[in-house]
Amino acid sequence: MLAVAIGLGVFALALVSLFGADALGWVATTSVWTNPTTALTTASKAYAGLGGLGALVLTYVALTAVLSAATYALGDDVRKFAIRFTVAFAIAYGAWFLGSWAYLAAVTPADQAKFGVSWSLKLTNEGGYIVALVAGLVIANVFPAFAEWLKSAIRPELYIKVAIVILGAFIAVTMAGKLTLASSLMLRGLAAIVEAYLIYWPVVYLIARKGFGFSREWSAPLASGVSICGVAAAIATGGAIRARPQVPVLVSSLVVIFAVVEVLILPVIAQTFMSHEPLVAAAWMGLAVKTDGAAVAAGGITQSLIQAKAAAEGINYQPGWMLSVTATVKVFIDVFIGVWAFILAYIWTNHVNPRPGAPKAKLAEIWERFPKFILGFVATFLIALALALGTDAGTSGKLATAIGEANVWRVIFFVLTFFSIGVLSDFRRLWQDGLGKLAAVYVVSLFGFVVWVGFVIS
Amino acid sequence: MATPDLRDELKAPVEPLLPIEKKLIGWSFGIGIALLVLLVLLNRIIPLT
Repeated sequence: MLAVAIGLGVFALALVSLFGADALGWVATTSVWTNPTTALTTASKAYAGLGGLGALVLTYVALTAVLSAATYALGDDVRKFAIRFTVAFAIAYGAWFLGSWAYLAAVTPADQAKFGVSWSLKLTNEGGYIVALVAGLVIANVFPAFAEWLKSAIRPELYIKVAIVILGAFIAVTMAGKLTLASSLMLRGLAAIVEAYLIYWPVVYLIARKGFGFSREWSAPLASGVSICGVAAAIATGGAIRARPQVPVLVSSLVVIFAVVEVLILPVIAQTFMSHEPLVAAAWMGLAVKTDGAAVAAGGITQSLIQAKAAAEGINYQPGWMLSVTATVKVFIDVFIGVWAFILAYIWTNHVNPRPGAPKAKLAEIWERFPKFILGFVATFLIALALALGTDAGTSGKLATAIGEANVWRVIFFVLTFFSIGVLSDFRRLWQDGLGKLAAVYVVSLFGFVVWVGFVIS
Repeated sequence: MATPDLRDELKAPVEPLLPIEKKLIGWSFGIGIALLVLLVLLNRIIPLT
């Protein structure tokens, strides 16, 4: 619920501007640069007096204060968190800043001429996500002691959930101008639910059980991890079938590692083969990439890569749409984790492993396992959509500006998510604890059919 | 929290598929395919563009 509170807080502050006061315009934003001293600025010109560096310091202080309060609420060591978060924020934002360098970000020949650069990787300024991910991966795999030290500030699940709550409002404002997108998204979201729970899950479970000889205790969390939504689904399933707590934890570590592999590979495939079907590519990311953070991260990278390729061809896709599609597909899949866990709990406690006197599955488990951040996503989406459709042009224009400022915070939480995912991805774990065979099931299932079935159906 | 040694656990005899597991796999997959066909047909009416 902390993610919901933080996300709704940002959204509420954004809405204040509808009444004349700009409560979020001081947040720092980075534009494409060749001269680093001109890159940083405030989200709103009303706060231009702060200067870019002043805005960044203020953004850091506000973020640290809010997240430290969340750390306190969780009962963790606030001082320890604040020190480590300061370092994590500096590296993550530094990576984002570097990603906006014109040699990485400038896309069209006109941009290159404008910035005076003769070549560019054409990543758009969202290439900063990739830089942040790579920075995290380097730390995890080259400086493991540093990665361990950073751990208490590395909370990808919290960061991505805050970002998704804010994203709800952004999607609403985007959709308000194009309601046919909403109906298409509903259909794609429903298809994603069917694929994840009813196609992928039974096939992966069968492969793990019959193909690799895993026990039921290992196979069910593994099937959920590969098929549904990575860590959350593996842990919910582990609880549902009353597995030992270590089982879903080990499966989750695999999920995180392979999600990073997917984030690095699939967007490039999408850019190569699906650059003229951007929404289909985005839906594919939501379906194929596991864990919320990695999926939305893949959607972000796909968006930047496809937009860059399209821009070079003179096509300008609507900014934010691809990311919205990926996030919506992922949220649709997440909604049913609790229901699926209940179904498995019922089958396991009554038929697979009935124990006299042991507690049976209860309907309340559906709510207990429901990912609560989805409530925040739905709330910001519905409120923003109602305001966008139900107010005059002047107010809806102000709303778009306000949500644009909230979106700068969403970007910062995304950057923190990318960096955190990298820091948690220690590839050496694959060779420890006999995880190789478990990883083999993952590879066979994920790259053998999950990714490609998703590709075909998307 | 002790980490289970997968290498040891993999040497254990393979648990046969129970009838309820076969039902779970079969029914899930069957319903899934049927719903997908339905959604593909719907997508013909409302294509994702």
